[in-house]
Amino acid sequence: MAEWNAYYKNEDDEEDQEEGELSGGDYKITGRDSLVFLVDASKEMFIKGEDGEPSNFDMTMQVVRSVYTSKIISSHRDLVALVFYGTEQSKNPRNSFKHVYVYHDLDEPGAKRVQDADALRGSKGAQLAAKTMGSSETSLGDALWCCANLYSDIKLRLSQKRLMIFTCRDEPHGGDSVKDRQARTKANDLKETGVTIDLMHLMKPGGFNVASFFRDIVSPPEDESELGLQLEPCAKLEDLQKRVRAKEQKKRAMARLNLCLGEGINVAVGIYATAVSARKQAPVRLYRETNEPVRSKTRTFHTQTGSLLLPSEIKKAQVYSKKQIVMEKDEVDAIKKFDDPGLVLIGFKPMEKLKRHHHIRPAVFLYPEEDEVKGSACLFSALLTKCSERNVFALCRCIARRNYPPRFVALVPQKEEVDEGKAQITPPGFNVIHLPFADDIRTLDPPQCPVASQIQVDKMKEIVSKLRFKYRSDAFENPVIQQHYRNLEALALDMMAPEDMEDLIMPKVDQIDGRLGPLVDEFKDLVYPFNYNPDSKPAAKRKTAGTGGGAEKKPKVEIPEDELRAHMQNGTLGKLTVPVLKEACKQFGVRTTGTKKQELIDALTERLGS
Amino acid sequence: MAGAKSALVLCMDVGFSMSNSGPGEEPPFELAKKVIQKFVQRQVFAETKDELALVLFGTDSTKNSLDKDDQYQNITVHRHLMVPDFELLEEIENQIHPESQQADWLDALVVCMDLLQTETKEKKCDRLNIVLLTDLNTEANSEQLDVIIENLKQAGITLQFFLPFPAGDDEEGGGDADGRDPGQPGTGKGLSKEQKSGLDMVKHIMLSLDEEDGLGEIYSFRKAIEQLCMFKRIERRPMAWPCQLTIGSCLPIRIVGYKAVTEEKLKKTWTTVDAQTNQKDDVKRETVYCLDDDNETEVQKDDTIQGFRYGSDIVPFSKVDQDQMKYKHDGKCFAVLGFSKQSMVQRHQFMGTQVIKIFSAKDDEHAGVALSALIRALDELNMVAIVRYAYDRRSNPQVGAAFPCIKRDYECLMYVQLPFMEDLRQFTFPSLANNKKFTPSDTQLSAVDSLIDSMMLVEGDDQKDIFKIHHIPNPAFQRHFQCLHHRAVSPGTPLPPMEPWLKAALERPDVISERCQAPLEEIKRKFPLTEVEKKKKLKTSAQIFGKDSEEPDAKKAKGDEEEEEYSLADIAEGSVTSVGSVDPARDFRTLIRKKSLPFGEVCQQLTRRIEQLLSNKNTHYYMKSITCIQAFREQSVKLGDANLYNGYLQSLKRSIPNRGLEVFWDLLVQDAITLISKDEVEGSTVSKNEANQVTPLFKPV
Repeated sequence: MAEWNAYYKNEDDEEDQEEGELSGGDYKITGRDSLVFLVDASKEMFIKGEDGEPSNFDMTMQVVRSVYTSKIISSHRDLVALVFYGTEQSKNPRNSFKHVYVYHDLDEPGAKRVQDADALRGSKGAQLAAKTMGSSETSLGDALWCCANLYSDIKLRLSQKRLMIFTCRDEPHGGDSVKDRQARTKANDLKETGVTIDLMHLMKPGGFNVASFFRDIVSPPEDESELGLQLEPCAKLEDLQKRVRAKEQKKRAMARLNLCLGEGINVAVGIYATAVSARKQAPVRLYRETNEPVRSKTRTFHTQTGSLLLPSEIKKAQVYSKKQIVMEKDEVDAIKKFDDPGLVLIGFKPMEKLKRHHHIRPAVFLYPEEDEVKGSACLFSALLTKCSERNVFALCRCIARRNYPPRFVALVPQKEEVDEGKAQITPPGFNVIHLPFADDIRTLDPPQCPVASQIQVDKMKEIVSKLRFKYRSDAFENPVIQQHYRNLEALALDMMAPEDMEDLIMPKVDQIDGRLGPLVDEFKDLVYPFNYNPDSKPAAKRKTAGTGGGAEKKPKVEIPEDELRAHMQNGTLGKLTVPVLKEACKQFGVRTTGTKKQELIDALTERLGS
Repeated sequence: MAGAKSALVLCMDVGFSMSNSGPGEEPPFELAKKVIQKFVQRQVFAETKDELALVLFGTDSTKNSLDKDDQYQNITVHRHLMVPDFELLEEIENQIHPESQQADWLDALVVCMDLLQTETKEKKCDRLNIVLLTDLNTEANSEQLDVIIENLKQAGITLQFFLPFPAGDDEEGGGDADGRDPGQPGTGKGLSKEQKSGLDMVKHIMLSLDEEDGLGEIYSFRKAIEQLCMFKRIERRPMAWPCQLTIGSCLPIRIVGYKAVTEEKLKKTWTTVDAQTNQKDDVKRETVYCLDDDNETEVQKDDTIQGFRYGSDIVPFSKVDQDQMKYKHDGKCFAVLGFSKQSMVQRHQFMGTQVIKIFSAKDDEHAGVALSALIRALDELNMVAIVRYAYDRRSNPQVGAAFPCIKRDYECLMYVQLPFMEDLRQFTFPSLANNKKFTPSDTQLSAVDSLIDSMMLVEGDDQKDIFKIHHIPNPAFQRHFQCLHHRAVSPGTPLPPMEPWLKAALERPDVISERCQAPLEEIKRKFPLTEVEKKKKLKTSAQIFGKDSEEPDAKKAKGDEEEEEYSLADIAEGSVTSVGSVDPARDFRTLIRKKSLPFGEVCQQLTRRIEQLLSNKNTHYYMKSITCIQAFREQSVKLGDANLYNGYLQSLKRSIPNRGLEVFWDLLVQDAITLISKDEVEGSTVSKNEANQVTPLFKPV
């Protein structure tokens, strides 16, 4: 759901709203993505780790579940299947394969499937698996063949076919060369039909030897390096999750453009959205009687004659100082056109010229497209190397799509980084930072403020140090979206109540208070006068210097409880002033966030009325 | 709001000397007219409430309220104080010409002052301003000068002068002080005696009114045009967002936030009007809902409810329920979750569309000190605050970073939104360094090195930025207003080309283009780039043939299989003349749609293909056959002709045992392909029950 167009949405007129609702994916390729989880169900998979670490099977099921839910949120049209091999029982479309158990056929994931995957987690899950499927001999060849059938049974156009093998056995057939050979043949057949096979090898005592068997099974990595095979087996759930995530999300360019360095020097690049604000999906309209989805059609018609208007029969207009200015629809588009889409290099600047506050949009990512212009990757790589070596960024003019006005962008070099397990943490390429124009920067009138003394600053430093943590960009879930999907899940599965959700972006006030201890009061003593009340409205204008701060008589605003109750019963709370109401709130321990009179009254009534 | 408007008099010299100009130079009159046009244009599009009057002097006729006994002659009040409109623009375009008289510019000034004073009496204006455009070529009577200055001061009227020449090189801080104005025509030296004394008077007035910046309000025509060329950038009054920054439960600091950077949008949007009448009311847009059936049965909006997809399920979920169950929070909030190293928060992870600057609350110096302590502590430790931010109760809370920002004259926190886990896509890309094919050689690298050298956009020891993006006005807005203005004053003519200055502002600076020529040639030699011939491309563009190919178009986002199928059919249409073997089902559908052959004939072609396919005993061919049969069934139902299909299926069934096609038949049964029943097509002789039973009941043993 790379909503590149979403950024521009408001620039167009009302017609675009319709499109917005439908923006399910913004790619030129249509067709579905598909993913088959082929999971080893042998006994070895169920062995629990030391110290109660989850078994490999358990870990795999957790990952499967999380992929299911994330697909539901982000790309519900993708097809996913779950197949076990090495099982006692067999279950597959024509039951022609033994020891292969198709748990979920290739289909869109739904609430039921999440439940199913859930049921296979933990020790209960292991029991369930043993009961329904059991473990027995293995023929990976049959399993792959069966998966091939799953693919061929799909009549939809598939844009990506991926198969992930989860196993902790590097020699699944125990040296049976016939079976090994058969598996290799079937793997090749699959690869020929465009299926990418990945290995998610899991921890095994004695180490997992990829080379002995699986080397010939998996698809070669994109960059022809040995990278894929050097990966260490996954021991931790997090690692596995990350590794699966990285493969499972198909990267698609939002746009393919030329980066023009000069006359005739065009590097083909793809633009990728690496972070897009996830939003609640747009609702679907359903027919009340049957709950079936309805389609909406928007028509433009003439008010008087009632006849439908063709695009040629309408024009666009704006009114300025009572004068209507009319243009053809084409002209409106033409005004926005400055040039054909593309990136044009203007020059380079040192990194410190990129101001942190020049931010108007999330960044996107640039990577060469060798398939479009041969030689792109080499020049791109040279630019990347040199820019990062010299600590400069490239300034470009960017027209992202046809009839989009230009923007300037900074191409900031990013070098590749890998973790200990040789898995990529950051990919090599340029981050594209959109820069603001003069119109986008607002003139503020910064207030004159006193500067803190070093003692005060030092005290705050202590506070800051007490509350240090390591920020990770993937540490916070969006509570709004999580709640929404939990609600949907509860409704879809007829649950009594939605699953509880922890709001990760809520400050852990108690912990913070505990950690800070007396520091808070020490700091407050240093900066705030005695009795300073930050909740009061702009404290009396500039307290006379020298006096002990806010100790001066504040008008008594307290009100006896019975009087307040009387007001409430008579519905005359409104007669009281805001400070009085606020004080009353405090008195009764009513927490209010509002400052409006009505909000205070409501809060009070709620408290006292109950 | 009320009273916050200004009144301004444009006072332009149209006397004969204004038409004088050196060879090849534009006469001052034309330049002055341009200044006025651009200025009025800007006011009109800004739709300000500010009022404007136009006084001309040096006119052949006289029309002003002070006109008495030879006094204040040749001065015309062309337009009284009112909001500028397109009419005024047209008048300036068509009615203002050079005239043949001369008038005292001080007299004209007095007329303007009088006009301002009488016409603003009833209105609340907080600023009064007079703009004088003249070449100072008439001798002015300086007797009254001091009285005039005194009156200006008393009435609080400010003055601006626009002259054909700069106010002088000796004056620092003048309107053109920073301009080295090469080739500025009519510069100081060639001034006449009148102009020199006039200029002295002008300076005297301006300095008497404002000792410090007085001369800053004297401009040259050229400079003014340059500046006015740009449509005023969109300015918005900053909205204060008062809140409390909290650290834990007992450390609040009163703060106020302002949006500092955000992508500005045009205030007005296009409305749709009828092409003939240009009336908005003649056009109505309406959205109707219909069921996804063959008849597209319309349903009323009231008969629809809201639902959401949960994967393959659609969950009805009314708005009321949704509101009830949705995530709720306590509203406005700026709460610290913790502090982290600045290096942990990377620039490219910034989310959202804005930067908010956080200051301490107004008039609360204690909060100021507290916030300052935080800002400085963060700055000294190179840390950043990770905060929960919520604008108000209705908006969704965010997680973000507050960076310390210490400037020479103020300090603040800068808040930017950071991503949620759901927003991130962890893409891996093939390594560039590990791939020998892509590794640049040393000579290639040094070619890039010299390219960077030649294209650095900073110069001097202080690394002065010579291409500041945040000083460029948004070209989209400039172009937009240019076109609107053109259409408003010259309707019926095609839109003008882009203004040259705007085009130039978006290009590489000339110095750079020159400098980088050679390094670019070197790059070209060292890095062979060849466009890959796309065989596939032909196919993809053909797929979307008829729509605009190539472009990633927002409209194509829908990813509808159905749509794609049709477009596939579209391309095939041209060539399909019979049911081929590659995709018989598709060919079959196309031929039926085209109606170029009789139905019976097409069906026969299809069944021939099916028989051909079935002679290969292989699952793949079986699948293909089934697709054909499905297509056969679907089209027969559509055309209401069941007999051919039913007949074929029955005969096929009979032949299964002899041909050993049991496996195939099983597949067919699994796919629930049945005969066409009476319920579906009237002419069918098969009842629904029979249809459903026919295939599964059949046991070919």
